[in-house]
Amino acid sequence: MSDDARNAGNGGTAPMGRRGALKTLAAVGGAVGCGAIAVPTVRFLVAPALGAVGGGNWIKTVAVDSLPEGEPKRVALVADHRDAWTLEKQVELGAAWILRKGAAVVAWSTVCPHLGCAVDKSGSGPGFNCPCHDSSFDADGQRLNGPSPRALDSLATRVEDGFVMVQFQRFRQGTPEKDPI
Amino acid sequence: MSVLRTVADWLDERTASRSSREKWLEHPVVGGGAWASAIAASVATCFAVLALTGLVLMTAYAPSPQTAWASVHYIEFVQPAGWLVRGLHYWAAQSLFVLAAVHVVHGALSGSYRKPGEIGWWLTLLVLGMAVAEGITGGLLPWDQLGWWARVVEGNIAGLAPVVGGFIAQMIAGGPELGALGLTRAFTLHVMLLPPIVGLALWGRRLASAASSATPAVGRTSTPVARTFAPTFAFSVCISAAVVLALFALVGRAHGAPLEAPADPLSDYPARPEWFLLPMFQLRKFFHGALEFWGTSLVPGAAAGYLVMLPWIDREPRSARSRALFVFAPVVAIFVGAVVLSEVARAHDAHDTHYVKARAKADALATAVVQLAMNGVPPAGPLAMMRGDPEIHGRELFDKHCASCHVLGDLGDAEKATATKLDGWGTPPWIEAMIHDPDGPQFFGRGPYKEQMPSVDTRPAAKPPGEPWTPMIKTDVEKHAVALFLASLGDEPGDPPRALDAKTRAAGDKIVTERCTSCHLYKGQGDDEGSNVAPELAGYGSIAWTRTQVANPATVATYREKALDETMKKHMPRFDTDLSPADVDVVARWTRAHARATSFAGR
Repeated sequence: MSDDARNAGNGGTAPMGRRGALKTLAAVGGAVGCGAIAVPTVRFLVAPALGAVGGGNWIKTVAVDSLPEGEPKRVALVADHRDAWTLEKQVELGAAWILRKGAAVVAWSTVCPHLGCAVDKSGSGPGFNCPCHDSSFDADGQRLNGPSPRALDSLATRVEDGFVMVQFQRFRQGTPEKDPI
Repeated sequence: MSVLRTVADWLDERTASRSSREKWLEHPVVGGGAWASAIAASVATCFAVLALTGLVLMTAYAPSPQTAWASVHYIEFVQPAGWLVRGLHYWAAQSLFVLAAVHVVHGALSGSYRKPGEIGWWLTLLVLGMAVAEGITGGLLPWDQLGWWARVVEGNIAGLAPVVGGFIAQMIAGGPELGALGLTRAFTLHVMLLPPIVGLALWGRRLASAASSATPAVGRTSTPVARTFAPTFAFSVCISAAVVLALFALVGRAHGAPLEAPADPLSDYPARPEWFLLPMFQLRKFFHGALEFWGTSLVPGAAAGYLVMLPWIDREPRSARSRALFVFAPVVAIFVGAVVLSEVARAHDAHDTHYVKARAKADALATAVVQLAMNGVPPAGPLAMMRGDPEIHGRELFDKHCASCHVLGDLGDAEKATATKLDGWGTPPWIEAMIHDPDGPQFFGRGPYKEQMPSVDTRPAAKPPGEPWTPMIKTDVEKHAVALFLASLGDEPGDPPRALDAKTRAAGDKIVTERCTSCHLYKGQGDDEGSNVAPELAGYGSIAWTRTQVANPATVATYREKALDETMKKHMPRFDTDLSPADVDVVARWTRAHARATSFAGR
């Protein structure tokens, strides 16, 4: 008869023998060892998923005089860009469609609110169109057709010293609400 | 020979190598027959080729946004046999999707999932799933437009999942945006994590098939005669593997593996998924809004679930008719449906002029960047290389900033253009045609300068009959001399020599100085009495003139003070406020060079 069977036969009544103590210790030690490896591993792997873009910076773009009335213009949003270990000075982070209507200036992110393709000016009408899944938007960025769950994402603007300042921001894709990330 | 035999004996004594080889060659093969084993062998060949070429590719591939595209470019175009190794890897992967799908269909139709073959069937499905996962992770590795945009969209699709969507999307992308960590993660999955799963699945399939060969399959009256692997099956396996390899080599030689322009998050790229995901792409078009996630995950999910459940769905010995209804019809519907959806997506794109144009633009850029990178890629990466190249960057700037009003070559839309068509701008034929008909639609007819310049040799339609009118230029010889002379004003030292004799030059100079300056400036002189509309002609079409005009048209050096006036509707804007001086210079030089190199077509 093996020791195992003898211990099992005794049930929980007998005091823990040497073998039982060793088993418990081995199990605890194993669990601690596994945890010691698992915790940093999981933290390592999950960390990038918990970061945010850290948007919200005001970025100086074009002179307000250079914007034609009523005609949306695509402008680059240039600032420093950090990607993991790389820092690029003054590169294009993204782009915005900027429209001047009299004294008012409005801006929309070029990122399609559906799945993130770059929204282009419509080939046929005055509005915008996404080349991936054919979402279309009117000249005010409102949704016309297609799978996009919301209107184009508007970005905050203000005019400073004759230049249009745009607040760079990304939003979660595919949701009806505009949810900054 | 005796030495070899001695070595073999020595080994056999210690490892039983001889008997295990014999055991392997003599292992019984059941089910399916020659076709099934040929397909299975082709799938295995694909994996073997992928593993070997993948290992070789890893010795030259560097996974980072700055180096990935450049190293793949190096493998494809510089490294000896690189195109062949990468071509084999790419085409083996493409074939694998087809062969693994054929394997699954064949297995479903021949009933190989039935007891006791369930485990083997599930492992076959797992192999197909892993092949798709390898295709998705591998597609990103070149870090080109195709792979990058496909991954952005796929990541966002994963992000549609309720609750955990955002977390999953960021786990895939390696952060809030697809960047360096997204690439290293895809690389790790592709080369370290997924291949062992595939290997285990293939190994498990063999074990399962060997174990189940002893049990008669449901519906069969007796245990099939177990034929040994060698020699008949070994022969069909070798032949099918050889055929598959030969096909890879032929296709790889003819087409290589594609490499598009480097991933550019700011481009207008018409993103499409890898071809084996096209059915999902098309399916997406039918489900909008809140339905999107469920429609596009439940439909394929139901199809996959059905295949997994087949061993239970088709358990009883069935009549031929009920089998046709419950097995044959759904399996055919799943795979034919996928093919039909893909073809619908392709046909739709082929008829979408916007897409076709964007696709052609992406292809032209890919060709240009691939050519440029032959000289080497700077450490800052291929995007920095593109932005620093006057040809590629000039074209990009023209497309973004000028082509909404102007047309030049294939850029701009002739239907919507409101400014001069620049094909041949500044060349004698263009000037000669323009001064004859300045209000032609290809000149000033659609913009604010309409009716500002009179034709030099045509009587204005508005002039009442009988009123005297003298053309500014009386003969074609004079007109030709003026055009040649004006064109020569834009010449630069590096330009090809112009056939302009002294007599013609003097005649042109005289006419321009005496007759054109009633409106135009010429070398700063003119007597237009303050209308301030007609541009300076000295240096017209030169690099400096073009650069000044792009930077700010409203100076006396080009189109003068009124050029930016409110009354000049749709006037040309100044670009020095939103482009750097370097970019203004690049786009001016590019425009001038290409205008002169494109022949004036008359319309």
